[in-house]
Amino acid sequence: MKTLSADVVVVGGGSTGVGVVRDVAMRGYSAILVDRADLAQGTTGRYHGLLHSGGRYVVSDPHSATECAEENAIISRINADAVELTGGYFVATQVDDPAWGDDWAKGATDTKVPFEEVSVADVLKAEPRLNPKISRAFAVQDGSVDGWQMVWGAANSAKQYGAQILTYHRVTGITRDGDRVSQVICTDDKTGEEVRISTNFVLNCAAAWGGGIAAMAGCPDVQVVPGAGIMIAMNHRLTNSVVNRLTYPADGDILVPVHTVCIIGTTDQKADDPDRLMIDWGEVQQMMDCGELLVPGFRSARAIHAWAGARPLVKDSRVGAGDTRHMSRGMSIIDHSDRDGLKGLLTIAGGKLTTYRLMAEKVVNAMCAQLNDPRPCRTATEQVPGSESGRNYVITHRLEEREHDRYDDQILCECELMSKGMFTRALADQPKGSFDDLRRQLRLGMGPCQGGFCSMRATGVALQSEHIDIERATGLMRLFLKNRWIGIWPILYGDQVRQTALDNWIFQGTLDVEHLPGPTHEEVV
Amino acid sequence: MTRVVVIGAGLAGLVASIRLADAGARVALLNKGTGGLQLGQGTVDVLGYAPERVQRPLDALAGFAQAHPGHPYGMLDAALVARSLEYLKELLGPGLLTGDPAVNLHLPTAVGSVRPTALVSPSMTAGSCVDGASFVIVGLRRIKDFYPELVAQNLNRTDLPGGGRLTARHVMIDIPARENEVDSSGLTYARALDDPGFRRRFAQGVAAVVGEGETVGLPAVLGLDDHGAWAEIAELIGAPVFEIPLPPPSVPGMRQNRALTARAKAAGVRVVPGSRVTGFRSSAGAVDSVQLATAGGDRDFKADAFLLATGGFESGALSADSYHNLHEAVFDLPLRRPEGHLVHGDYWGDPQPLFTAGVETDDTMLVRHPGGEPVYSNLYAAGGILAGATRWQEKSGEGIAVASAVRAADSILEAATTATTQGAAS
Repeated sequence: MKTLSADVVVVGGGSTGVGVVRDVAMRGYSAILVDRADLAQGTTGRYHGLLHSGGRYVVSDPHSATECAEENAIISRINADAVELTGGYFVATQVDDPAWGDDWAKGATDTKVPFEEVSVADVLKAEPRLNPKISRAFAVQDGSVDGWQMVWGAANSAKQYGAQILTYHRVTGITRDGDRVSQVICTDDKTGEEVRISTNFVLNCAAAWGGGIAAMAGCPDVQVVPGAGIMIAMNHRLTNSVVNRLTYPADGDILVPVHTVCIIGTTDQKADDPDRLMIDWGEVQQMMDCGELLVPGFRSARAIHAWAGARPLVKDSRVGAGDTRHMSRGMSIIDHSDRDGLKGLLTIAGGKLTTYRLMAEKVVNAMCAQLNDPRPCRTATEQVPGSESGRNYVITHRLEEREHDRYDDQILCECELMSKGMFTRALADQPKGSFDDLRRQLRLGMGPCQGGFCSMRATGVALQSEHIDIERATGLMRLFLKNRWIGIWPILYGDQVRQTALDNWIFQGTLDVEHLPGPTHEEVV
Repeated sequence: MTRVVVIGAGLAGLVASIRLADAGARVALLNKGTGGLQLGQGTVDVLGYAPERVQRPLDALAGFAQAHPGHPYGMLDAALVARSLEYLKELLGPGLLTGDPAVNLHLPTAVGSVRPTALVSPSMTAGSCVDGASFVIVGLRRIKDFYPELVAQNLNRTDLPGGGRLTARHVMIDIPARENEVDSSGLTYARALDDPGFRRRFAQGVAAVVGEGETVGLPAVLGLDDHGAWAEIAELIGAPVFEIPLPPPSVPGMRQNRALTARAKAAGVRVVPGSRVTGFRSSAGAVDSVQLATAGGDRDFKADAFLLATGGFESGALSADSYHNLHEAVFDLPLRRPEGHLVHGDYWGDPQPLFTAGVETDDTMLVRHPGGEPVYSNLYAAGGILAGATRWQEKSGEGIAVASAVRAADSILEAATTATTQGAAS
């Protein structure tokens, strides 16, 4: 057993938790963040890639719209290296009522979301693949953001301020001393060791999993409803700007260019279990139809991967429990001292990635208020490590890097221009990580071939490192192939079938990977 | 003289073209890309898993076909397969293909599994994984598709198919094929090793790390056009050497491809590379011609018989659209579609049904409606386009390709003879 102590324990390593631990640390508290898996492994890593301008919510949720507009500018600055300033459009297609654009424009004016009405001709000039039948368009300041990069930036900032980040630490209990929280008990899933952290304050940022955490502290019935949405990555950018349908928020109404791909999404289905989100063929078809409306020919473009994320929506008495689309996208803070008579525990849920910093500010303000210890928030002005130059991401960054090191280093993943050096450095930082953990930082296996060529290379290079033996290396490869397949088979049609046939020929045909010596299960810790 | 158009220049298309041309047919071989041989491992598989490991593939075929209704081996019996493989051995010669199709060899892969196959390049036979073997696996630092530690350490912990264990150790050496290039392809090394000067330096570098009594495993890059390069390297090292296939592009596959293409041209086959068939004409239940789109306009290839040897999903011969409708690219043929869902989520589970989809034929390889009559009286199919096999998992692709190609060629020749005889009689 290991014992630790900190002023504050943050539970959950998604965007909210990492934003919170950064804020807490910057205000001078000692802090430890725990997550049952890797950072941004849950909803933050399974989202759309959209840095909202606010335009999506100007009619349906004006308060969120204003928050998004303000935070968009802040995040583009403090997390510069994670954000691409793509710009975006709201367009009325032939099935949308152009007159609704007047409501939208009024909403945008009222909520202070910057916009400009632009001519259809100009939009089509900028985005020639867009549906030529659009009747009306507004330009907004949408961007795209790499959720993993953003989270790692904030986490590294928190570490600079002394915070500890403990991934693969699963919370198993929260103990109380009278009416106060006293300890968070975790299991280190990589070693099996129990870790007890003494603390005065727990900030529950476990989002869709937050109800379970609150219950461990004896606070029952915190209802965070997982609103599941699917997203599909297409193998290249069909547009270079974010494209939104000019309608009341609906399914499949946004196309976001992120890195080398573009992502269509999303749907909204109430899920029972955020760990078991299914990607239904019917929902895939729905996304294809929506894509076709934005970019004619979408169905013939190549889908390479699909995933589902669980929005953490706090149950709200104003809407029916089954209607997650119209639950508040705003954030909720539950103060358990009021609700359950337990001091030192706040649960935060709801909100969205664009407002992660603001959510953190509010929850830490609430904590300071409960502690009667006001300290100012400084997260909006200071850039995270890696973003000090203020230089935003552009798609050619990696190409530029490879042009500098191409005589010295090999490229392990041609699709995403990931070098061997990048992989070995990330592995040295995270020697117990799975290839998926490394993928989230490196984009290993995320391009068109979906690991067809790089998986074996990654395995060989990992085995060359001193930490990884042959059983583990082989298990890592098996696990990675299995996990890639989870996102491939639901969208397996068109050119990705051809790619998969080649990948199968390589792995089963040439390498006979299914007859490697055991262990044959993919439990890699 | 009968005229035949063969579409597709993988193993099936090349073998059929040569067999037809040697028998006096006028053959045009239309190929869109480079052919499937360069995607594969460069060995000739007959049957590796059924699903348990197969030791004697020819003996296993009848039982396998019975257990897998609709499998191509149901039409291609062991005697035909044996005869066809002997034919392929003759075509490629002992410098490129050796082995006994009655007995599988078990050879190391580039991840260190032990893979069953029937016929191989002689440059691979020393890798036979038998009890007591002693290997040193040598990697080349500048080739990123081969990690000797992965091969050696997995081999070391494998219970061998024939019982027992082998010992393998690994060494990484650095001999640049091109100055100042850290990221070299296998093909770059293969070309460099065609040069006797580089071959000597290379062999010296390898010899320095080989121990007494060890057999040397190297990535399959030992020469491209010089088929004796590997043997000379072995002689210079003074130890037996074997090649381990890499992911594509496959150098052993390229050697076979080049040899068979040259053989086809020598037999008088008109090879038309870079030619995608864009249309066809038919009348009275027969295909009359296929068209290629070229810069000057459509070109029409008329023939008495047509052989579709375009491969499977990997080549684009078959496709599934976003509604999961299945298509055959050239003739829009009716396909045998697996029942139920085409794909499932268990990567390590049963074969994905989608990849068993394909063209159905009768036992003369004449394309037919699934379970029904021929689609055209003169359209045949061979190789990866045939329905019913999961070639990558079974390790059956080349056996099916060669046997179906030989059967199709013979059927075309038989039909031509019959037509001539009938013509003479009337």
